[in-house]
Amino acid sequence: MLRFVLSRIGMAVPTVILVSVLVFFLIRLIPGDPATLMLGDMADPASVAALRTSLGLDKDLLTQFVLWVSNVLRGDLGTSITTHESVTHLVLQRFQVSAGIVLVAVALSSLVAVPAGLVAALKQNSKLDLGLVTIAALLLSVPTFWLGLIILLVFGLKLGWLPVVGYVSIAEDPARGLLYVLMPIATLFLHEIGVLLRMARASALEVLRLDYITHARAKGLPESTVLWRHVFPNAFAPTWTLIGLVLGNMLGGIAVIETVFTIPGLGRLLVDAIFGRDYPVIQGCLLFIAVIYVLVNLIVDLCYPLFDPRVRMS
Amino acid sequence: MNKHSAAMASVSLIGLMLAAAPLQAKTLNIALNADIRSLDPGVNRDSNSDAVVLHMVEGLVAYGEDASVKPLLAEKVAVSKDELTYTFTLRDGVKFHNGKELTSVDVLWSWNRYMAEATKWRCRPDFAEGGASHVVAADAPDKKTVVFKLEQPNALFLATLARLDCGMTGILEKSSLNDDGSFKQPVGTGPFKYKEWKKGEFVDLEAFPEYSARAGEGRDGLTGSKRPLVETVHFPIIPDRSSAKAALLSGDVDVVPDVPYADIAEFKQNADLDVSLASNPGITAVLFQTRDPLLKDVRIRKAISMAIDTNALVDGITLGLGKANNSLVPATSKFHSAEQAKGYKFDPEAAKTLLQEAGYDGRPIKLIANTRYANTYDAAVMAQAMLQQAGINVEIEVLEWAAQLDRYQSGNYTAMTFPYSARFDPALTYDSVMGNKEKEPRKVWDDPEAQALLAENVRSSDPAKRQELFDKLHARFLASVPFLMLYNGLEASAFQKSVQNYQASIFSMPRAWEVSIAD
Repeated sequence: MLRFVLSRIGMAVPTVILVSVLVFFLIRLIPGDPATLMLGDMADPASVAALRTSLGLDKDLLTQFVLWVSNVLRGDLGTSITTHESVTHLVLQRFQVSAGIVLVAVALSSLVAVPAGLVAALKQNSKLDLGLVTIAALLLSVPTFWLGLIILLVFGLKLGWLPVVGYVSIAEDPARGLLYVLMPIATLFLHEIGVLLRMARASALEVLRLDYITHARAKGLPESTVLWRHVFPNAFAPTWTLIGLVLGNMLGGIAVIETVFTIPGLGRLLVDAIFGRDYPVIQGCLLFIAVIYVLVNLIVDLCYPLFDPRVRMS
Repeated sequence: MNKHSAAMASVSLIGLMLAAAPLQAKTLNIALNADIRSLDPGVNRDSNSDAVVLHMVEGLVAYGEDASVKPLLAEKVAVSKDELTYTFTLRDGVKFHNGKELTSVDVLWSWNRYMAEATKWRCRPDFAEGGASHVVAADAPDKKTVVFKLEQPNALFLATLARLDCGMTGILEKSSLNDDGSFKQPVGTGPFKYKEWKKGEFVDLEAFPEYSARAGEGRDGLTGSKRPLVETVHFPIIPDRSSAKAALLSGDVDVVPDVPYADIAEFKQNADLDVSLASNPGITAVLFQTRDPLLKDVRIRKAISMAIDTNALVDGITLGLGKANNSLVPATSKFHSAEQAKGYKFDPEAAKTLLQEAGYDGRPIKLIANTRYANTYDAAVMAQAMLQQAGINVEIEVLEWAAQLDRYQSGNYTAMTFPYSARFDPALTYDSVMGNKEKEPRKVWDDPEAQALLAENVRSSDPAKRQELFDKLHARFLASVPFLMLYNGLEASAFQKSVQNYQASIFSMPRAWEVSIAD
């Protein structure tokens, strides 16, 4: 097992290095200059040049890259060009906010979508199956920002049950904090149900067609035993992989949802940084996201033996 | 009682009533569309940062509602005959947020801090050697007097001091800095003091009960009476316009300072909401690269000006709320004379003839636009349609704002619709577009003779002379068509009806002073 873990981490290292190189150089290929953006249309060339010098942007790209990498290796992601804050602090602070919402939303949608997918597969072509598949397709095809706005309009504006804007950390005030994250969690929860239900159903259908399921039924095992002992462990593996991918993606930022619900998360930080050409923040965010993505998938892989007997056996 | 005494008594009464207005234990919620950058006046800033900071700090002078410069912390400003010495007499009884009384020593300390290179004050180049308002000496002969001496006369000295992006050259108390000289938080003289800034979430200010309002004056732009009437001002950051609208409709925010024009009619019909509109001196224009092989021909540029019905275009963009203005002098300015009211003549047939004369062969003109400033994109689309009617082939290229700004700075474009931020003296507006393209490629009007007229205007403090020069500049602008001036900015604010005395302003920034909330 240790060898497996070390080999996976070893495989992740080149990925992170590649990401850091690509991010550093690609963001600088995009037209737009942070100094010009900060000074706006009133900027004269001398002021722009002075600001570029003070930001270290006048140095050649290789020097800037070497400086950045050496700082990153010391655990310092740099300082934001626009707010002059530590990028490491910014990223970790914003990540906590996003992660809380994403983890709850993905956990809830998994708890609902996986059993629903299995039931839909078991009752294939029934009205229940048709209903679940239709709901899943509908939720999947609705853009998250639109779904978020509808939820905002209904529960925030029309019914007035939840606050429309603002954010309070659950750590500071659990009761009020919960009110502010309910709608973003509900939006992500509904959207991810569509994704996971379809995968769970498709995987279960595949397993249900296999001979050993027929054999189990022929032995006279009750349907629930067939489902949970024989279908679920074998059908869950692809869904578990998908959960890992979804989690990795969403932990990297749920910018649209964060914008709609005014949540100060990692996604909004990244989007604002891109619009402001805040290079250190963009680099810091993307590097962090890459690491998180790799870690989440590593954890997913390590959990595989718990669910899939074939992996355990091998 | 004679008329004079009666008037004086009335003014005193109003003054007493104003001074006696109670501070409400209420919170005014004003949405901001993006987080602020810092609290350091005129240093690391953008328009939202200015809006928040200028509730806490004040300068010696400030812009009034009519964009003229008036005293704020100064009781009066005396200018010497040679226009080189400005003497500011400070008001009595003005206190900083820490309770200390404002003196000339504080003004001088703030000035020296601004002028230190390490502060990185964005307006330092204007006042340093080589700048148009080069200050050669600043002195504090007594507790209440500050004297600035200029190298050469400059009619824009006070206007530059009062600039919003300069943080109004706000006077700070020394405790605004940490022991190591870095900026901590603004300890100013403004009507509100700093409470909390939760980055990405909100900024909170609280009323400064000892605020010394200008006696006997009403609210006047960024000066006049600026009493805090609510206990707290809460600025939540709401980047999404739909979310801001929902928050306004639900009552979660009291004021949204910049709402889309398309929502105005709906808000006006809402019994709980009110709307306020204000034209600001910002300009929306169609810029031409006059060095472009096609557009270097003034006949082509003139034909474009004749093919676009700017009245219809502005009507369409602003849904009838705004008015076209083809002059760089805003319609609200005292310098907007009858001469300034002259504009482009809409005549598509004459445009076609001119195009034929110029030998235009239908080559496409790339018109750059962006969607961050939706009005400039709309302007590009409407201009394209109108130009095509006259046989001018226009292709719109939509760029992200940062990319467009890059092209603007480098002059690497054929044409673009572009929003300029507001300058409150027309000479500053002219200065932002005029200059030598060799030295500053972003400049769109490279005309040495016009430049000389502007330089003369800036040196003169005689309003009549300045008017004459502005009129000459405008005539030259219309004749050479270096770019198309479409209209001035239009700020539309929406707020709860319970919010009393809120008004959109020419400064495109929310103002929480003199605003109360009805029970």
